[in-house]
Amino acid sequence: MNKRLSEKYTLLGSNPKTKNNLLEGVKSFAKSPSIHFLLFGLIIVLIAYLAVEKTFPNIIPYSWASALSVTMAYSVASIGFCLLMGYSGLASLGTGGFIGIGTYAVYYIINVSGLSLWLAILVAIAVAIIIGAIVGFISLRIEGIYLVILTLGLSEILRNLYVVIEDSIKIKNFEFVGFLFKRQHAIYIVMGLLVIVMIITHNIINSPTGRAMLAMKNSTAAAQAMGISLIKYRLLAFIICTVYAALSGVLLMVTLRSARASEGTGFYALITSLNILAAVIIGGYKSIWGAIFGTFVLYGLKTTILSNIDFLSDELMVFISGILVIVIVMFYPGGLAQLIGGLKYKIKKFALKLREAKYGKDLG
Amino acid sequence: MVKILDKLLAHSGKLTKARQNYDWIKEELLGLEERINTKKQVELDRFVVRANKQLAKLGYTIDKSEYVNALIEEKLQRFDVKNYMNHRALNHGDAKAIFKAIKAGNDWQSILPGHNEKYKKLIEKRANYASKVNELSNNSTVEKVDSSAYDRLKNQLLAEYEAFKATVDKKYEGIFQKEKARLENKLTKAEEKINLIKSKVKVEKTLEPDVLLEVKNLKMYFGGLKAVDDLSFNVKKGEIFGLIGPNGAGKTTVFNCITRFYDATGGDMYFENKYGEVVNMRDFKVHDVLLQGISRTFQNIELVKEVSVLENLLVAATRTYRSGFAVHALGLPSLKKEEKMLRQKAMRILKFMQIEQYAGWIAMGLPYGILKKVEIARALMADANLIIMDEPAAGLNDVETIELTEIIRKIRDTFGVTILLVEHDMKLVMSVCDNICAISFGQLLAIGTPEEIQSNKAVQEAYLGVEEDE
Amino acid sequence: MAFFLDTLFGSLTPMCVTALVTLAITLIFKTSFTTNFAQGVVSAFGAYFVATMLTKWGYSIWLSVPAGMLVSMLMAIVIDVGIFRRGRYVNALGKQIITMGLISIIVGATPLVYGIATPLFKPFIDGVKTFEVAGGSVAFTWNSIFCAGITAIVIVLIFVLLKYSKWGLSVRATASNEYVAGMMGINTHIVTALSWGIAGALGALAASINASSGTTINIYFMTNYQVYAFLAGILGGFSTFHGPVIAALMIPLANNLISYLVNVANRPDLTGWSMVFVYVIALVIIFFKPQGIFGKKIAKKV
Repeated sequence: MNKRLSEKYTLLGSNPKTKNNLLEGVKSFAKSPSIHFLLFGLIIVLIAYLAVEKTFPNIIPYSWASALSVTMAYSVASIGFCLLMGYSGLASLGTGGFIGIGTYAVYYIINVSGLSLWLAILVAIAVAIIIGAIVGFISLRIEGIYLVILTLGLSEILRNLYVVIEDSIKIKNFEFVGFLFKRQHAIYIVMGLLVIVMIITHNIINSPTGRAMLAMKNSTAAAQAMGISLIKYRLLAFIICTVYAALSGVLLMVTLRSARASEGTGFYALITSLNILAAVIIGGYKSIWGAIFGTFVLYGLKTTILSNIDFLSDELMVFISGILVIVIVMFYPGGLAQLIGGLKYKIKKFALKLREAKYGKDLG
Repeated sequence: MVKILDKLLAHSGKLTKARQNYDWIKEELLGLEERINTKKQVELDRFVVRANKQLAKLGYTIDKSEYVNALIEEKLQRFDVKNYMNHRALNHGDAKAIFKAIKAGNDWQSILPGHNEKYKKLIEKRANYASKVNELSNNSTVEKVDSSAYDRLKNQLLAEYEAFKATVDKKYEGIFQKEKARLENKLTKAEEKINLIKSKVKVEKTLEPDVLLEVKNLKMYFGGLKAVDDLSFNVKKGEIFGLIGPNGAGKTTVFNCITRFYDATGGDMYFENKYGEVVNMRDFKVHDVLLQGISRTFQNIELVKEVSVLENLLVAATRTYRSGFAVHALGLPSLKKEEKMLRQKAMRILKFMQIEQYAGWIAMGLPYGILKKVEIARALMADANLIIMDEPAAGLNDVETIELTEIIRKIRDTFGVTILLVEHDMKLVMSVCDNICAISFGQLLAIGTPEEIQSNKAVQEAYLGVEEDE
Repeated sequence: MAFFLDTLFGSLTPMCVTALVTLAITLIFKTSFTTNFAQGVVSAFGAYFVATMLTKWGYSIWLSVPAGMLVSMLMAIVIDVGIFRRGRYVNALGKQIITMGLISIIVGATPLVYGIATPLFKPFIDGVKTFEVAGGSVAFTWNSIFCAGITAIVIVLIFVLLKYSKWGLSVRATASNEYVAGMMGINTHIVTALSWGIAGALGALAASINASSGTTINIYFMTNYQVYAFLAGILGGFSTFHGPVIAALMIPLANNLISYLVNVANRPDLTGWSMVFVYVIALVIIFFKPQGIFGKKIAKKV
């Protein structure tokens, strides 16, 4: 009715749509993922603030701050891995070793040399670029499962190096941008860096670079015929993944303050690489949110939520997480992102059915 | 040594960059009119929307006031009909007369002199009702507008629109000319730069005037297997050239050599690239072949399944982007500008292929015929001057094959590109090709027009086997 | 000379353990087309069982070790039948993730089953033998010699089985093409389950040997050898069975030899670097021979 009327009184027989610039601007601003990432960062920081400062004692337990901080620090590595696996079709088990680049950069720059965290981050990035480039070059000759094992070997080399150089490292409180950062304040640095990493990753995914990586994943031959140089994008993918892992190491060191290289379950062990891989698979290997959620399932869920349930011992938790991983891989290959996407679709379908029941089928 | 240096200089980053720049300006120039038009349309639309708002407001007011007047009249009439026509006390003749008078708008009370007393109450009631209804209509907030005002306003607005359009046209024509002149100026400068770089390089080889690709003594051995042995043929500019042969004849090997997927054991492939220079394809890496102007399609569709059709086309334009990784990672506005320009170009090509309605669809799950077209569109995206199609008719039904024939011709005529077909489907090859090269076991059988090939004895033997005399 | 011999005898146990684990991983890789990251923990689970039987229930070691092997074997078969057979169409990476989910399950289950106390182990045979050569005395344990013997027998047995038995033929057929093997009438389900079982048993044996040499048992104590095994797999080339095993023998030996050379050169500060050297050498070899030292090159059609 309304539409018919609006077409009745027109100048040229049609009613063109014009955009209200201000309104559209506000809308697209609210819809842009960068804002979502920022909001997410603010919410997590708020939760951590409430947990640490104990302003409202009973709302959020103290342990949440540290658990969230660790989860988010690992998330940086997961996001890098997401880019490597979901977009470039490559896989690596070197994450554990690469994380060490960051932890040792922090240790040597802040604790030994007494310089700022900025420099530590820069050094970590620089070293990670070199090592990522090495892996990238290797990936040109060796592919698939062999490459995975080779990166595992590389990670072991790094781990052995760490053991030899300085097995056990520890840092004290340090000053950064004018504040004295204690252990419980680490989350502010972690979230700051994580949000930046999320925005940059989102930009890369939706840029020509991301498309070129996807093309490479689908078919190397077609990608090359389209002018995409394998060496460039493989190097790029591995460098990004390694840099993110190193940054994750920086954040982990800032959060946990100490590390031991010879420990079987430490940062640099195989188990970390496998956990990051599992986190990305669980979350859905093409989604940033999925990567973060998967990391949360593996690293944060236990401390934050499930620790309140009495009969769940630590061992049982590990057991259950294993079952969860297997179930997800076997029945939801797209990960939790697929699960949530499917749920959304079902809700939409249900809403449509409700509408149809109310107003009848739309035949137009 | 000098030769190597020359080669290095010719294909160094400097020249590529200058060419990229040149291509980019050309692209900008190509899409200029469309961009200006959209801008213009936005401004015109804004005027139309404003005018529409005015018109609608007036239109609704007229509608409303007409509706209210009609309502009042109807109310009184209903009252009259109810109370006089059907009044039992009134005899039939009187009623008829009264009704007539009411309808004519006369004073009906004068018709009923003798009954005045009798109907006094009724008349009072009617007068009350009339005054009430009148009051209602007087008090109503609805404006009373007469209907001709709408037409007057519309005519006035139309005249205004014409005037506005004329000024806008003039304004954008000015902008268009200015922009065009600026871009053309830039283009000539870019060209000069390319020529400057090129002038330092000696031309080593020239081709015959209308030859685009010269394959000379091409050899490709896999260990002891001679997949292609001493093959030579020429592809002329603007023709549709077919490469045929029985299974295992080495067709695919030949064009994998041309597109550098295989490193040929021997021989040369001279090609006049899209910048008009003659190059030997053996000097290029596989991912640089596209930049020289050779693009290809695949036998099995090799699209990126999880992105949209439009983005698949943009994949082929990866090397057209001038922005680097840093710009991509930070999402700077310059990337958005480039992206907009290339999306425009992709839409143009999709429209040409008549599949623009699928632009936003995810490639996975589209029908096979559509995907084939998308792949051809992707090959067009790179502005190549030679398109190699690897068995384009594979998996298509008869109707689709006929459609493909038309598309191939249309592409050649519209874009002026040369097409090299590697095909099994004899019907397609014979109907569309200008020249055909038949090979068998890596060696040349015959080159010629379709008729010549069809009547060639060696080809027939290769395809059907040797006939034995009885 | 004496020190050199000492080094050689010292490498015996790690060589045995690595060879057995590598053989297990290669078997699973060939039949299930995945790298089994859970091999280490399955082995450790078996070692836990052996230790429990040995110290808690007081059985002799000759009974405990076969029992532990049986437990690991059953466990591996259950894993294959219960999980892997159902996840047949999961992609390659997904399969690896499943094996790492298994790690979590077994790591969680072990303390629930055996309690949290660290179990004690003992050598198969006690006793140390010392003899004199030019330049000093050399010592070795009888246990290491015995373990080397057992390992040699087991490996030779498995190779003979692979080469001459019907099961071996089926395994090789499945490894070359599972689909075709199935169509040729080979029950690939049984072949795969049996391979998993044997791999589990080998793992338990390897873990027992490792524990008998004095290593403290914990759930991750085989992870290092598992990493060696993966490296050995691609160093030797997964396309054959003997390649990975030979490479597996070389890795611990090379490690100890480098330690020996470092000591000869009188640079004890470099001792810790020996494993780094081994890895670097292995990676360089793999880089120049991607298909492995004994692997065959397979041409890919574009």
